[in-house]
Amino acid sequence: MELVHLVMAETTFWTILLMIHGLFSMALIGALTHQAASVLRAPKAGGDGFAARFSGVKGEVYASAVTGLWVVTFLFGAWIYVKYRTYIRIPLEQEEFWKTLGAFELKEQLASIGLGLLPLYWLAWRRSNDKSLQPLRKWLTLVLALFGWIALLVGHVVNNVRGFGS
Amino acid sequence: MSAEVSAKPDRALAFALTFAIAAPVIYVICEMKNWPVFTYHPGTGRLDWGWAAAVKDEGPAMYWFGWNLSMLIGGVVIAGLATLAPGLAWRLPLSFTWLFPLACIPLYLYALKFFWLR
Repeated sequence: MELVHLVMAETTFWTILLMIHGLFSMALIGALTHQAASVLRAPKAGGDGFAARFSGVKGEVYASAVTGLWVVTFLFGAWIYVKYRTYIRIPLEQEEFWKTLGAFELKEQLASIGLGLLPLYWLAWRRSNDKSLQPLRKWLTLVLALFGWIALLVGHVVNNVRGFGS
Repeated sequence: MSAEVSAKPDRALAFALTFAIAAPVIYVICEMKNWPVFTYHPGTGRLDWGWAAAVKDEGPAMYWFGWNLSMLIGGVVIAGLATLAPGLAWRLPLSFTWLFPLACIPLYLYALKFFWLR
């Protein structure tokens, strides 16, 4: 870590990690949202408009990417969480941003719970020909999409309130 | 909603299904009861087994990593046991895999009321 700090300021290093975390999370939410739209779409829905094309994707194509992106985003989040705890959270407590802190607490719990759902989510999509697994595919995708959106928005708000460069 | 996929229960699905039900429950219990496998002190980089209080003048203590490890270990053990009898795992309602995680949102909104009501 000392080597890194020789070539850039400490806040720059953590900001870069945060941006990588953010970019992975946006890729994740994009994939999850397409997939969630596809499971909500009526099986015989047609059309050529934006909504039809947005939801008209093969959900199984996204499953491995979503699983990998969730894990990678989680790991980067866990890494920068160490710095958040001392550099971001303590000043936010001193400035009494309680709702922001509470929202971040919710985000970290949902990210962990989502992690526990990934093996079944991935396997259910890998066996996309098995119609009996359709409810699992649908609901796990919707739950992960909901958790992912909450995590993304909360992370964005927390970074607006106090980023690593503050 | 339940046991619709019992035509050919296999070990991989039994593992994944049981893990998806057990892991979130274990995580929430460990978080609510404060049972991390280890505590990390980011100010000093020290690790303690189990729960440890923050040390004065050494910064905060972090438990989230320990709760996650608790979830992974507990989930793997329970899901591993489920692979011994895959047919039993399929008696679990599939809806548990999404209903409990969804229920965690209002559960945590209530549990975190300290933050909302200040």
